[in-house]
Amino acid sequence: MSAIEDLITELGRLPGVGRKTAQRLAYHLLKTPPGEARQLSRAIDRVVDEVHACSTCGNLSDSDPCEFCSDARRDGAVLCVVEEASDITAVEKSGHFDGVYHVLGGRLSPLDGMGPDDLNITALLTRLRGGVREVILATNPSVEGEATATYLHRLLRDLEGVRITRLARGLPVGGDLEYADGVTIAEAFTGRRDM
Amino acid sequence: MPHSASAHPSPQASGPEPATGAVRLGRIRLRDFRNFERLECELPAEGVMILGSNGAGKTNLLEAVYYLEVFRSFRGASDRELVRFGQEVFRVEATVEGPRGERTIAAAYSAAERRKQVEVDRREVSRLSDAIGGLGAVVFSLEDVEIVRGSPSGRRRFMDILLSLVEPGYVDALGKYRSVLSQRNEALKGGADRAQLEAWSAGLIEVGARVMEARARWVAGRAAAFDHYHSRIAGGARGVLGYRPSLGAPAGRAAAASDDEASAEGRPPSRAAWAEAFRAALERTRERERRRGVTVVGPHRDELAFTAQVGGEEERDLRTYGSGGQQRTAALALRLAEADTLRERLGREPVYLLDDVFAELDRERSGRLLQLLEEGRSGQVVLTSPKPSEVRLRGGLDVWRLRDGRLES
Ligand SMILES: [Zn+2]
Repeated sequence: MSAIEDLITELGRLPGVGRKTAQRLAYHLLKTPPGEARQLSRAIDRVVDEVHACSTCGNLSDSDPCEFCSDARRDGAVLCVVEEASDITAVEKSGHFDGVYHVLGGRLSPLDGMGPDDLNITALLTRLRGGVREVILATNPSVEGEATATYLHRLLRDLEGVRITRLARGLPVGGDLEYADGVTIAEAFTGRRDM
Repeated sequence: MPHSASAHPSPQASGPEPATGAVRLGRIRLRDFRNFERLECELPAEGVMILGSNGAGKTNLLEAVYYLEVFRSFRGASDRELVRFGQEVFRVEATVEGPRGERTIAAAYSAAERRKQVEVDRREVSRLSDAIGGLGAVVFSLEDVEIVRGSPSGRRRFMDILLSLVEPGYVDALGKYRSVLSQRNEALKGGADRAQLEAWSAGLIEVGARVMEARARWVAGRAAAFDHYHSRIAGGARGVLGYRPSLGAPAGRAAAASDDEASAEGRPPSRAAWAEAFRAALERTRERERRRGVTVVGPHRDELAFTAQVGGEEERDLRTYGSGGQQRTAALALRLAEADTLRERLGREPVYLLDDVFAELDRERSGRLLQLLEEGRSGQVVLTSPKPSEVRLRGGLDVWRLRDGRLES
């Protein structure tokens, strides 16, 4: 396979990138100054080498524990459970949350072969043994996100002294946390209710 | 008449209330739809009778018009099948004067891109559910008899299409129900534990209750009208339309609403009652669904039952025991009840698309149907027929001829 073909194939593996777009991106990279293209390739190398899942919360970060888990100003007694690490960025945008996170690494979806064992749940249970006051289930308002929240609620509801809440349904139906704007997310947090 | 109008307390039972106005289809434009390469016409306000031999495309024309109501074929054809042979894209467009003033509704489908595009007043709508029901039309077709005598899925399809048109939120609830159901079935197949199944059950119950409540409410609300139309067309025999939810009706109330029961039992069950009944049914069928690897109760297994007096005094299931004529009668009564539902939602008469409906009726039934379509109904009519007929609607409709995908007036 030629070098160009190789690059097009690799770019085409990215989500939302079809063959045509991959071609366009590849030829764009060939036309940019070599220094700029190298920067991209170095950035990719760096994330692969340096970014790992935080051993406490599962967030993707180049430090372990991650910047949220190690921030003493954040309230470690309030846990916000999200599907993906990218959801954290969205919640942070709202500026309305100063607790810590827990990343599940997905959602229940039997059709995609995703069951409870494929989610970061054991670590969550361990964390809940030490002084957590509230768990906010912030999975997406999709069919799968709702089922995941219901499942976790049933698993956690008998824990003493832990309040379990769910984000208010201000989010657009089927809309992912990732794509909601800051104000909408802030409202969803403020209006959260006990499950 | 074996019973007087006073036996039916519901206002629908004495025929429709006169509507204040009617939806009027104006200009229709087709491009590469079925056998039509290009077609453009302006419908008269009262409607038109379209004559054409079999294969000339009469049904195709009605299919195109009704496409703008539900954005799929009423004959169950895929979008791809609607594209004219050898072409890639079809387009259907119509101007319609309805409750929201004059609007242009258009739909196009590209087979190559597998993409459907719907426009209202030249602006693309992003959610199909926002445009659904924007036309305000009802189709009567010869294939309607299959609703009565065919498989249960056809009867659920009838309810789902109608409720999608008139019940806000129904389309979304149904779509969600299907997603949760397939996830839950996959979980069952994979031997998921009880906690996981219950997580899926919660969503299933929530949207499933919404679907069942809407279905039950519609049937209960239209049972008297159905009975009325049925006995009018049949020349006496009473007809009963009943909702048969797979999980049984919530405690203490009958879901099958013949008018006597409806008045005795009061209003149909609430959504909360349906949710509770669904929860209990899932609990009851736990062993069975685990063995079979599939959810065995729920709206996806619901039935609509048509019963009538057949041959004597006893009421029997028309699907099994009805003759062709009796099944046709029930199907017509159902469509008339549908038209009433649309009228109520629109606040005016829907357009009546009548696909050769008089062909397979005997003289008496044909005459009585004609009477029902005239009494208190002023909606525009598009009637197709293979040959000139003595059917006179709306004081005599203009006659157009359809030949090889072309209209001649
Ligand atoms: Zn962390």
